[in-house]
Amino acid sequence: MLRTEKLNAGYGELHILFDVDAKVNEKEITCVVGPNGSGKSTLLKAIFGLATIYSGKVVFRNEDITKTPPHEKTKMGIAYLPQTDNVFVNLTVEENLKIAGYTLDKEELKDRIDFALEVFPELKYQMKRKAGTLSGGERQFLAIATALVRKAELLMLDEPTAQLSPKFAEVIFQKVVDLRDKYGLTILLVEQNVKRALEISDRAYMLISGRVVFEGKAEDLMHHEKFERFCIGLQ
Amino acid sequence: MGVVEGALIYSNLLALLALGLTLTYMTTAVPNFAQGSFAVFGSYIALTLLRLFGIHPYKSLPIAFVLGGLLGAGSYLLILKPLIRRGANVVTLMIATLALDLILLGFRGIYAGILGKITRQPCEMFMFSYLVKPVFGVPDILLVSSLVIVLTLLGLFFLLYKTKFGIALRASVENPMLSEIMGVDVEKTRLFSWFLSGALASMAGVLLPFKQEIVPATAELVIVSIFASSIVGGLSSIAGAILGGYIVGMSESLITYYLSVVTGNAGLLVYGKVVSLVIIVVTLLVAPRGLAGIRWRKVIRWRSGR
Repeated sequence: MLRTEKLNAGYGELHILFDVDAKVNEKEITCVVGPNGSGKSTLLKAIFGLATIYSGKVVFRNEDITKTPPHEKTKMGIAYLPQTDNVFVNLTVEENLKIAGYTLDKEELKDRIDFALEVFPELKYQMKRKAGTLSGGERQFLAIATALVRKAELLMLDEPTAQLSPKFAEVIFQKVVDLRDKYGLTILLVEQNVKRALEISDRAYMLISGRVVFEGKAEDLMHHEKFERFCIGLQ
Repeated sequence: MGVVEGALIYSNLLALLALGLTLTYMTTAVPNFAQGSFAVFGSYIALTLLRLFGIHPYKSLPIAFVLGGLLGAGSYLLILKPLIRRGANVVTLMIATLALDLILLGFRGIYAGILGKITRQPCEMFMFSYLVKPVFGVPDILLVSSLVIVLTLLGLFFLLYKTKFGIALRASVENPMLSEIMGVDVEKTRLFSWFLSGALASMAGVLLPFKQEIVPATAELVIVSIFASSIVGGLSSIAGAILGGYIVGMSESLITYYLSVVTGNAGLLVYGKVVSLVIIVVTLLVAPRGLAGIRWRKVIRWRSGR
């Protein structure tokens, strides 16, 4: 569904990713793990068009989208959820969902919001609350729900469980699995909670210092003899 | 016209002007020093329509709204947007609006001369106070200016909270990048805010000559009060701007009047702007984020000794 070819990217003159070849298969969870500063978030941003790409390609459904602006990628069905600031805190839950479907007509918007609320029924009772008053977990629900409203087929989640209690983190992991199994979505996941992320993922990439050091089945990475050394950033 | 009535009219207009200034500051972070010029632009539209076609200034409000809106939107598109794109900082943007203000001042001076020649009446200095009529025992300008601000606030509330575009505008103010991720055309919301700011200022400008004498340089005096209102309100709060407009408008009119009575020196009325400047200084020293930045619950608790 999505692939990067020899992707070199960063911010301005700060080169972070080096020759990254990665692919995301349809209806799978692909997880990107690695120590802090390894370029995991930058990979998502580069794919979405929020980082500088120096060379290489991003291909989505066989179409070169390397230079496609972010709002066009949204229309193509790619959703990127930043780690923080992923909802409008001064708007209500309902307004957040409405703004997510800004490009849809009224009928379609209603259908999409109904669908998002079917996946996240917890939000039904919070519609009039300002998003800023939600708990961290509820905010993540809302953020993912907004991606569902905008008809995302590929969800790129940047550490959706960061700063959440273990209980809420587990609920989020379960929802991610549901999105794949029940609703057939494709997910590219960046996670700090490496073990749990690998358990739910189909495929995995390990990045260290902006380079891919492992690519393959998620369970193979978990049982890799150098796995623990990878995790603390040693090759 | 009574002193309090005059103060209320002035406050209504100041609230409209501060609202516009705050709106463009919130969406584009530009402190617009040409806001006073947008207002006096409206005054000259009303004067032109009155002198050339005999149209009463009240009836020229819709025309002034549209033309003022175009001036605001044009200023953004031609001057500010290109600068923002090049990464201009707030000081550069501020100086650009100051330059725009001076350019508009020059044009007003030239235009006033031309209009004076055509109509064979002086246009460098004018007032509409002779058109004021009493309605229900109060000057009609008080009712009209109050109606304009009430309708503006109702319209703005409806727009911002009940329409998709309004929600998009609020979203763009809060987080432009996320708005773009959601597919919102953030640039359109910015342009609209400049249109509205120019339109509201121009309407206020149509009504201003009912209260005070207008000369081409009136804008450069009014801008002090507009900034004072917006700063008192916290620069990034619509409700704050309205409240600031009333606080500054009432203080400026009533304090100078009171001082002139006490000292027996009517000449003091000319220095009304000193009140606004003092308000700016005090606000920046005591509550730099204005009324919107004060933690009112804390103040109330402190006052009640809890």
